[in-house]
Amino acid sequence: MSEEKQTVLECRDVGVRYGDVVALSGVSISFARGRIHAVVGQNGAGKTTFARAISGLVSPDTGEIRIDGRILPTGNVNQARQAGVELVHQSFALPPSFTVAEAMQFGAADGRIYSRRGLESRWQTYLDNLNVNVKAGQRIRDLPVETLQSVEIARALVSDARLLILDEPTAVLSPEGAQKLFERIRHLKDVGVTVIVILHKIREVLAIADTVAVLRGGMLVEGPVECSGINAEKLAELIIGPAARPLEDDQKAALTGSLDTAHAHLAQSVDQAAVEPVLKLTAVSTRPDSDGPPLEDIDLVIRPGEILGLAGVEGNGQRTLVRAISALAETSEGKITIEGLDVTRASLQTRRAAGLRVIPFERNVEGLSLTSALWENWSARELLQRPLLSMVRPTELRQRCGTALGAWEVHYSNVTQHAGSLSGGNAQKVILSREMDEQARLIIAAQPTRGLDIGATAFVWDSLNRARARGCAILLISSDLDEIMDICDRVAVMLSGRVVGTFTPPYDLADIGAAMTGVSK
Amino acid sequence: MTESIVSVFRALIFIVIALALCGLIFSVAGYSAPDMFRAIIDGAFLRTGALQQALRWGLPLFITAAGVVISFRAGYFNIGAQGQFYIGAICAAFAADWLNGLPAFIVIPACFLAGMTGGALWAMWPGILRLRSGADEVITTLMGNFLAVIVLIYVTSGPLKDPTGSGQQASSRPLDAAYRISTSYGVSPTIIAIAVLVGIFMWLLVNRTAFGVLSGLAGRNATMVTWQGARLWNIGLASFIISGALAGLAGTVELMGPNGRLASGFLPAHGFTAILIALVANLSIVGTAIVALFFGGLASAALYLPVIAGLPSSAIDIINAAIALFITAKSNIVDRFLRNWRKRGWTT
Repeated sequence: MSEEKQTVLECRDVGVRYGDVVALSGVSISFARGRIHAVVGQNGAGKTTFARAISGLVSPDTGEIRIDGRILPTGNVNQARQAGVELVHQSFALPPSFTVAEAMQFGAADGRIYSRRGLESRWQTYLDNLNVNVKAGQRIRDLPVETLQSVEIARALVSDARLLILDEPTAVLSPEGAQKLFERIRHLKDVGVTVIVILHKIREVLAIADTVAVLRGGMLVEGPVECSGINAEKLAELIIGPAARPLEDDQKAALTGSLDTAHAHLAQSVDQAAVEPVLKLTAVSTRPDSDGPPLEDIDLVIRPGEILGLAGVEGNGQRTLVRAISALAETSEGKITIEGLDVTRASLQTRRAAGLRVIPFERNVEGLSLTSALWENWSARELLQRPLLSMVRPTELRQRCGTALGAWEVHYSNVTQHAGSLSGGNAQKVILSREMDEQARLIIAAQPTRGLDIGATAFVWDSLNRARARGCAILLISSDLDEIMDICDRVAVMLSGRVVGTFTPPYDLADIGAAMTGVSK
Repeated sequence: MTESIVSVFRALIFIVIALALCGLIFSVAGYSAPDMFRAIIDGAFLRTGALQQALRWGLPLFITAAGVVISFRAGYFNIGAQGQFYIGAICAAFAADWLNGLPAFIVIPACFLAGMTGGALWAMWPGILRLRSGADEVITTLMGNFLAVIVLIYVTSGPLKDPTGSGQQASSRPLDAAYRISTSYGVSPTIIAIAVLVGIFMWLLVNRTAFGVLSGLAGRNATMVTWQGARLWNIGLASFIISGALAGLAGTVELMGPNGRLASGFLPAHGFTAILIALVANLSIVGTAIVALFFGGLASAALYLPVIAGLPSSAIDIINAAIALFITAKSNIVDRFLRNWRKRGWTT
């Protein structure tokens, strides 16, 4: 019986199908009480489905789920909630126009009527007790993403949750934000909450979790095993599986988070000062807008076959820079040339015709139309280079799209399916297949690996390296310093809309970090 | 293909639910529901000449609805079809008035040109306001409807007033019979040809041009196509203009065909029924053609409701409203029902 008491959640042979797609099959696993359990896997491995099955959002087709030894009626959120299970979603679900207090009350109405002040004081006390540093009167839309997540977690704990499931909580966080989140999770563990955290970065798993379970292709391949008994390389192998291409050494190092990577391939970079640059920004400034600080006096040069990394704390003008290069923010002063062509006043259409390609920040908003078919998404770039009234043959476009997506190893069933039905990594591959064609000369890759699992991340890096080898110029914007230091030939750092430093290998983490935060050495 | 079958199927479910609801309402109100259904089925489909009547009402509705499809697909909720329809008819009436006496082969094309231009311009100003400054096109096109009603009243009781009119309803002088494209009965080869041409061109535009694919993408995610280098100004304004021009064309058809004159407040629900048709058809051109004929049948059945069921003919408006209610509610129940159905593998 003591065994039974130790187990908070037990799944037996749980399987979920979406139509013809098997998302989860035969998963039998149990989790011990009062510990932090990580569930890892590639995109599409079934992690989110697993979380949803436990929390009652999807109803499994087979198997049973037991909480504290009692069978949980499946597919019922309220029953799961009553049993003490709470899920914090990957993308936040709080209404943006609510105040924090209203959002908290929304999930936990107790039938009483409060004045605005009474409501705020009720929840202020609650949030203070949880060490969430926020004013209960603030609007949800005004909160930074870290705070938003803390509020989500706090809300999940209102109903006295004993099993908290966090679905990829670090995907939206900066490294410091992730650290704070981990402290919060440890604190929850101390007060007796069992936490299941879905992650895709191995480094984070090893930093926070007590045990780890690995899903691959909807099946449980390992675990839960104690994290003390496993190392990063072994975990990477489990996640990717035996069939995958072996990772390059430097990629593996970056994925597992060892910073002392030798820049083997970077040493080959020849002195290119003589080569005509693909992109040249001369003293570019923009006017202030809602999207972060304006650019001030930006000088940037990217030559063929070069990856320039753009590091910086988020919100220091990176978005504006990408928009300025893409003609979506007006250049008020200065000059932009692509392949020697002055495009300062040219439209994005003209710039794209000159070889510009953009992998935008927001995959699901700026990159893809989630409710449109894959082939429509894929052919948009090409169709925009034609006159609006030119005839198209959808059958031919669908065929070519299918060929292209196949070549980019996208897992899909039909080119007419909606882009929103793909997992994050596959969706990003659709964008890559569109933006990294043969005619691409300059590729702006804005956070191309954010939210991706290690297999997809390696794929993106590989693609960037191949484009580089083909002679493309690449601007890689990333908040992940490991990524930047591993695959970039040069690094520029942005702070408050300016480029405050450029670095060449071998990189010194401390120097770049100092430039990012504006600390003078 | 399965997707469009499912959407037609869904639309049918909506309509059946709406009819059942109306039957319930009418029988509670003391009318006979079976009689009502009999009147509708008889009047719309079975009676001799029912098909012609369905075409008489359905073809102009199809032309307007095809325009609604173009703007809705591009993500612009131009609900001003009614106003654009009126302005189109008014412009055509002015053209006919000014050119009165010239040969029909000059006057008729000139009227069509005037009608389509008028409708297009009436859709263009809300389009420009939307694309330039973000003014909500739902508000501006709705305002456009009210303005068009007032313009119609002014024109029929002022510049184009028929001095011999009865005074019950202000209207313009009847068109010379030579300029009519159909009798008052309402269907003619010319009108059918116009509707078929509109159908073919709009089908090609939606399904076989870069504009069709890109406007569909823009309607679902304008940000994404902007990042691909699209100028929403071009796609958006073209959508407004095409939808307005088609509503204007339908107005011209009604003027020069069945109506033969401009009457104050004629066909007050035309534009809204067209919007309903486009939504029921899930914004597909082929679907719009089918659904427009169905609604054309309902419109002709309106004449039979008083005869057979003793219902006022405006009962058909209640039925339309009930259908609209279910369509706009995007009934989750039906969606869930369909999803379960598919999950169990009965379809696909």
